[in-house]
Parts: sequence; structure tokens; C-alpha cells
Amino acid sequence: MNGQYASLLIALPLISAFFVPLIKGLGRKAVMGYLVLITAIQTGIAGWVFSEVYSTGKPIIVMAGGWKPPVGINLYIGHFAALFVLIVAIVSFFMAIFSYKAVTVEPIDKYAMLFLLLMLGATGMIATGDIFNLFVFMEITSITAYALTAYNKTGEAAEASMKYIVLGGIGSSFFLIGVALIYGATGTLNMGHIAQLAGTMNATAAQVGLALVIFGLAVEAELFPLNAWAPDAYQAAPHPITAMFSAFVVKAGLYAMARLIYILQNANGWSDILKLVIALATLTVVVAEFSALRQRDVKRMIAYSSISQVGMIAFALALGTQAGISAGVFHMVNHAIVKALLFLTVGYVGITLGGTKIENFAGLGKRMPLTALTLTIGSLAAVGIPLFNIFWSKVRILLAGVEAGYSWSVALILGASVVEAVYYLRLIHTMWFVGNGERIRENFAIGVIAIFLAALIVVIGIYPNDLWTLVQKAGQDIFNVANYISHVPLMGVGS
Amino acid sequence: MSLPSISVYYFGAISLVLIGLYGVLVKKNLMKILISLSIMETGVNLLLISIGYVSGKSAPILSEGIGPAQAVDPIPQALVLTAIVIGVATTALALSTAMIIYEKYGTLNIEEIRRLRG
Repeated sequence: MNGQYASLLIALPLISAFFVPLIKGLGRKAVMGYLVLITAIQTGIAGWVFSEVYSTGKPIIVMAGGWKPPVGINLYIGHFAALFVLIVAIVSFFMAIFSYKAVTVEPIDKYAMLFLLLMLGATGMIATGDIFNLFVFMEITSITAYALTAYNKTGEAAEASMKYIVLGGIGSSFFLIGVALIYGATGTLNMGHIAQLAGTMNATAAQVGLALVIFGLAVEAELFPLNAWAPDAYQAAPHPITAMFSAFVVKAGLYAMARLIYILQNANGWSDILKLVIALATLTVVVAEFSALRQRDVKRMIAYSSISQVGMIAFALALGTQAGISAGVFHMVNHAIVKALLFLTVGYVGITLGGTKIENFAGLGKRMPLTALTLTIGSLAAVGIPLFNIFWSKVRILLAGVEAGYSWSVALILGASVVEAVYYLRLIHTMWFVGNGERIRENFAIGVIAIFLAALIVVIGIYPNDLWTLVQKAGQDIFNVANYISHVPLMGVGS
Repeated sequence: MSLPSISVYYFGAISLVLIGLYGVLVKKNLMKILISLSIMETGVNLLLISIGYVSGKSAPILSEGIGPAQAVDPIPQALVLTAIVIGVATTALALSTAMIIYEKYGTLNIEEIRRLRG
């Protein structure tokens, strides 16, 4: 089949979001069914793109309007984008099913529309090959994220959303200034073309532009000084949306950051920027782990844990070596699986028992054994215990960090991981050994998803090599810029 | 040492961004913070437009007597058109959120809007 059909990844969620108001008259069930159907189709398309890219070994380049880059906008769906578009689609599909039970607040049609647009924005951010287009998709993602955070219409939700809007507004303004500087210095917006011209760029323009762009993306990617919105938003947003934030919205920001950093790797003064990101990432891990330790609300605790894992991914992506990037991508995949499972189970406990305070988790092993079991598997995996998937990616990241000569940050990250073990074990202890209760009937569909994700964690934990070869190709896609340029059919402008 | 000559457009645009940033950081009233955010967005848009300016050229609309060689860079204008719309959408969303905050908390002072903590 023609590779241009891959543009359906963007077109399908967009057109179906427009159709939501038309079927709203048919009632809540119809809207939710529609949401599940569309995300299922999206998963199908993403699966097709994934198998296409990995079987041919060549990226799919979609050229908007048939204009060759750098004149037209292109989508670059290489090994990385194919993998993550699939993850975005699968997580959205699971969360659409979870929304049946979790989202009972009206207006449901607006929820479905924003849900689809959030999926669209993240897919676009991962697939695009143009920096201004990246900005537009980033804004689609963040505006829908602001609105979905405030969806519950409580004071807390509005407060969390407002923090996110103000920080996100500053971040996007800085990103745009960075884009303006890069455009002013190179005269192009296409990533392939920028990579070609990076060596000839003015060093100051490249450094300031890249630093501003990273500052802007760090809001979405939850790096240390700019992540104050994240725990609030995670706590106040509807439960399925929280899982989507943690599983792919953050990843899209991190990926965009890594892509832009490596695009400019020929620019002068590039390595200073890497050191800046490494320092921010290490601080993110340490601060988030210690904040998680003192939380009484389990959802907020897992939000902090999610931020710390993101810091670890940013650390790996900024090492500047092939091994580091592959390990970072490996951790992105594993973290998406684990955090989707954790937020799913915690959210499910929240809606059945009314709240996610730690007291509600007492005796969960007797009341909801299946949920408690999957939550335990997810927690153990998050700590990084052998035989679970995150163990392998954490080891890879730490080894790559030592190899690249950042032993001090590796030591800090390892120290913070001990803290992580403390609060997850406290949660597990509360679930299994404290309190008593009646057995509660658990939902079938949510149970199946939870067991599937938990099984995935264990299978990857025991057989990590298949996924590892896969993510090495994806890491190559980010690291090897010469290869990236050679795949984008530039129109012979300026070269 | 002589100061480098900076175009008044760049200077003005960056000043607007900094004024906006100052307002966001210092002001306590939520509405003033949102106004500062809008000022910041305006500054960014002006910066983008001035990057595309070519001295002495006219608007990039091809018509009688004005060919491609006589026009300023049209790309930043497309970018700004997009950025303006995005800015307005964000402002509208922020204002509706501010309304909900005022309903639930009875104040717009950011020091009193602190129910989420820990």
C-alpha cells in the first residue's frame, strides 16, 4: 500500500473529532462507543504503519500537498515515530474503554472531542518533520490538556488547570522565540534542512535558540523548574486522562526535545546545552522522588514517581551517545506500559472506593484482589526489581551514564531510586497487610486491560532482547542525523 | 566600547516579552497575570514579523508592479497568523478557567488559591 496513507494517523482523529457533535444527540453510550471505535481504528492504522516501517526498514515520508520539503511540510515516520504512534494509539484505546466507567460527568461529547484531539496532538508531535508544525501540534496537545485537566469542574481542577495554562503559555512563547531565532539563522523550518545547515549556523543563535526551545518543551516534558503544574494536574484530571498524560503526552515532549537537540548536533557550542539538560534531568529525579515520599494521596504519589522517571529518560536522551539514547527509548516504552497500568488501577480504586487517599487502599488485597495484584506488579516494576521490565531499562541507562562520564548524576539517580522503593513498598504493605473488608465485584473489561498490561511487564522483564533490538533501531533514528537527512527528499534548496 | 546597533523592532518586541514575563512573575491578581501572558504573546508575534522584514520591500501580495523580488518574507506572516489564533484560544480557555476559579474560591488572588498542596 502507498505510504501516503500514513497521513490518516492525523486525519482520522481530526475528522472524527468534528463528527462528535453530530452523534451527541444519540446519548452518552453512543458517544463512548464511537470513541472506542475510532481509537480502535487508529490502533489498526498505527499497527499497519508500524509493520510497514519495521519490515522495510525505511521511514515513511508523508509530503503534505505533494510539495517536497523544505517547501512543504513533511511527516517523518521513522522507526521511533512508528513505535510511539502505536503506543499512543493503544494507550488511547485502553483509556477510551476505561472512560466508560471512569467519566460520568457531563458534557460527554466535549470529553470525547478533547480526548481525540489530545491523541491527534501527540501523534502529530511525534510524526512531524517541521519545527513550526511541531509548535502547532504541541499547542493542540497542550490546549486540549488544559481543558481536560479542568474537566471535573471542581475548584481544584480549575486551579490545577490554571497553573498549567500559565506555565504552558510562558513555555510556548519561549518555544516560539526559539523557533524564530533558528529560522532567522538558517532561513528554513524543515528539520532535515536545519540539520544540514546546522554546521554553518551562528554559534550564539544556535545556542540561545536551542536553549529557548528546550525551555519551552521542558514545560510539556516536566523537567525540574517547570514541572510544578504536573502533580496538581495529575491529581485533579479525570483518571483516564492522567494515564494518557503520563504515558504519552510527556513522551511526545521528551521526544521533540531529543529530536531538536540531535538535529543541531553540528552546531557550535552544542555540548554545553547537553550539560544543561543533564543537570536539569538529575535535579528532576532527585526532587520528584523526595516529594513523592511525603505524599498521602496515592495518585499524587504516582504522579511524582512519573516525573522522576521522566527525568531519568531526559538524562539518558541527553547523554549524547548511541547507547544512552537507545536506553532512553527503551525506558520510554517500559514507562508508558507501567504508568498506564498504575494510573488505570489507582483510578479504578478511586472511582469504586471514592478517592485515592492512602487510607482507601487499606485491605485492598482482600477487597479487590485482581486490582491489588496488578497494582503490586506495576509498583514492583516501577521500583526496578529484576524480572520486571523497568529493571532492564534502568540498568541500561545507568551503564550508559557511567560510560559517558556522568558518574555523579548516576550516583544521585541511584540514591533517589532507594527512596522510590520506600514509598512503593509502603503502598504495597498498606494494600496487603493492613485493614480488612468485604469483597467487591471487579469490572471485567478493566480487569482484562490490567492483566494484559501486567503480563506485558513480566514478559518484557523475562525476555527483554526482542524489545531491545526494536528500540535500538528507534534510538538510531534519533541519533543518526546523517541518515535522517538522507531520507528526507530535500528539493535541492541551498545544498 | 560602542554599543551594537539593534533595530528598534527587535528591541521593542523583546521588551514586550520581558514586560509580560515580569507581570507573570510579580503580579498577584490572576487577571493581571493573564493580561501579562497576552502581552508576552504579542511581543513574540512582533519579533517573528520583524525577522521577516526586508528593508524597503512591500507586502507579499503579488499584484501589478510588485513581483516576488519586491516583497518581504511571507513565511513569518503565516507563522504569526497561526500563533495569533493559538494565543487567542489559550486566552479564552484561561479566562473561562478564571471564571470557574472565581466561582469556587471567591477570589482571584493567587496567594489564596491554594487548595492543592502536598
